[in-house]
Amino acid sequence: MRAVVLTLGSLCLTAAVIGNAYYQKQQFYPSVVYLTKSNPSMAVLYIQAFVIVILMGKLVRKLFFGQLRAAEMEVVTYVLMDFIFPFLALLLVLGCLDAMFISHAYHSTLIRGATVQLVFGFEYAILLTMVITTFVKYILHTIDLQSENPWDNKAVYLLYTELTMGFVKVLLYMAFMIIMIKVHTFPLFAIRPMYLTVRAFKKAVNDVIMSRRAIRNMNTLYPDATPEELAQADNVCIICREEMVTASKKLPCNHIFHTSCLRSWFQRQQTCPTCRMDVLRAPPPQQNPTPQPPPAPQPPQQIPPVFPGFPMWPPPHVHPGQVPQVPPQTPPAAGTSQAAASTTAATQPAAAAPGSTAPAMTTGPPGSPLPTVAGLPPFPPPPPHGAPMPGLPPPFMMPPGFFVPPPFVPPPMPSPNYSGMTEEELRAMEGQERQHLVARVECLRSIQTLLDAAMVQMQQYTSLMATLGSPVAATTAGQGSTPVPTATTTQPADTTEVTNVLSSKMSPREETPSSPEQKPTTGESQEESGDLSELEGAVGFTPPTETLIPEDTEVPPETDANEIRRRRIERLSSQPGEEDGTEP
Amino acid sequence: MAGSALKRLMAEYKQLTLNPPEGIVAGPVNEENFFEWEALILGPEGTCFEGGVFQARMTFPSDYPLSPPKMKFTSEMFHPNIYPDGRVCISILHAPGDDPMGYESSSERWSPVQSVEKILLSVVSMLAEPNDESGANVDASKMWREDREQFNQIAHRLVRKSIGL
Repeated sequence: MRAVVLTLGSLCLTAAVIGNAYYQKQQFYPSVVYLTKSNPSMAVLYIQAFVIVILMGKLVRKLFFGQLRAAEMEVVTYVLMDFIFPFLALLLVLGCLDAMFISHAYHSTLIRGATVQLVFGFEYAILLTMVITTFVKYILHTIDLQSENPWDNKAVYLLYTELTMGFVKVLLYMAFMIIMIKVHTFPLFAIRPMYLTVRAFKKAVNDVIMSRRAIRNMNTLYPDATPEELAQADNVCIICREEMVTASKKLPCNHIFHTSCLRSWFQRQQTCPTCRMDVLRAPPPQQNPTPQPPPAPQPPQQIPPVFPGFPMWPPPHVHPGQVPQVPPQTPPAAGTSQAAASTTAATQPAAAAPGSTAPAMTTGPPGSPLPTVAGLPPFPPPPPHGAPMPGLPPPFMMPPGFFVPPPFVPPPMPSPNYSGMTEEELRAMEGQERQHLVARVECLRSIQTLLDAAMVQMQQYTSLMATLGSPVAATTAGQGSTPVPTATTTQPADTTEVTNVLSSKMSPREETPSSPEQKPTTGESQEESGDLSELEGAVGFTPPTETLIPEDTEVPPETDANEIRRRRIERLSSQPGEEDGTEP
Repeated sequence: MAGSALKRLMAEYKQLTLNPPEGIVAGPVNEENFFEWEALILGPEGTCFEGGVFQARMTFPSDYPLSPPKMKFTSEMFHPNIYPDGRVCISILHAPGDDPMGYESSSERWSPVQSVEKILLSVVSMLAEPNDESGANVDASKMWREDREQFNQIAHRLVRKSIGL
């Protein structure tokens, strides 16, 4: 009301002043001169101009935001309908004005050289970037409002908008600064806004980098919370206060949150919401458990790779489905799984043998070979009936399978650097932990298995030689069972492979049939240390064991190799002895 | 964002009505707008504000709980950590980025783990133990430090005023 009165009063006064001037001078130019010379008239005109500016402002607001108050009462969609258009129109008008002024400033600068238009031009350019920023943000908010579900990525887009616009602004200010210094002087008045812009840009860059790093950490390093962990905690994401059913992450500090909640928080802060641990500074915990053990001399973690590794190697060399499972499963020699595996391994020869040379088989080890085999790696039986007839083909049903281990000789065990240690130190390390001991025993068992396998293989080589000489054996084996032909036929291939892999070290064995023939002599007491001494004698075998048990080799092999071998063999010999006790 | 904020506010409201903490009542001004809450705070016992019931307004941002709410007393207050216009100045209400007084460590700042209840409890303890090192109301800080007697008188007057006496 007062505004209307003031406006009307101002209008009346202006009309009166102008009318008076025109009435006195009767002509346009004299009346203008009169008006400008008269201070009271000018005051009235200034007031009128001020009123007009205010009216313009009101008009703009009416145009663009007039419906807002009323629309706020309505549902959101109506707000959108009523609000979007005026707002966009305002942005458009501002953008167009800015663009116009920029082009004007540009052209005037081109035509008339550097004037004050230069400064204005850059000011408008800055304003234009602000308009664009507002527009983008507005779009993002609109999308967010319209979608029912929270839009996780909005914060990301906002971050990037800030980043881009900050960059553009920094560029503009730099250009402005350079041009100003060139054409005029140092633009002191632009220092403050420029400083603020650069700081904002730096912050935007920092935000983007930090949040990206935190989110990447979250995605890659932090484990998903397991159901047990969720059950242990009270199962409520403390950020959104909702139950955590799916997609939860556990931070290094053991606090669990929804992945999405965590992500949106990391876009602002890179700390744990609960304990404020800096997730970027804290070392990721999942990597710690693994690297930490290595300092231990013979960490148990190193053992598993050996066994799981075994099944990896055999398949290429072994006949499909035959014995590949034996090498990996024999290591836990006393275990039931081993018994099962060895029985499967043993049944095959048993199945093959009865068809061909059953008598020899049965005469050898007492009763069925299966129970005997169960306790100990399945090799003891073969040597006995290898004793009566060294050239006998049947046992070499097994070799094809056991024959495989030697090729695995190069198991890539990271050889620890123990060379600088004294014997006492090593012993102290050995005795460190029970689990290490257990792991070592396991390892030794696997080594034993491999040794036995190598023995049998050697035996098989000799018998193969004999078989090649005598066609009878081959035919009998063929009659035995289906696996036999595959075994016998593929065996040559295997031997070549073996010889390739092991090169010269294995080949002497083929040439020395003497060693298998030694076996019969010690055959009865194979479980005893006798077979081991014999093993030591078998030169071909030692290299494989050496490489097989780097996690066990505590000493440089060059110097104390013999000593180690002796110790290892002692341990080996004591082990089968234990098993013997359980065997019967 | 607004959806999750609304859910969270509803959950907190439910929690506050089911297990109301002592001396605190809070809830949305009306059920239509969950982003505007009203809180009644009982002056803590044994302090100069004992017996008063102070009214405050809490405004939640649309990205709550990632950003902290704002809190403003609508009752007249005279307290070192409350601006003369009623705005509460405690670190729990400040996002880690901004630091109006320039000394707060980030460990006491806002985090999504905080809640309305925790804020109000902090305000209660702030009423009991003003922090005169960062005065939002410099006059009140000075008086608290140098003329406790007069401060208590003013507080008693405000307490009586707050309960309509």
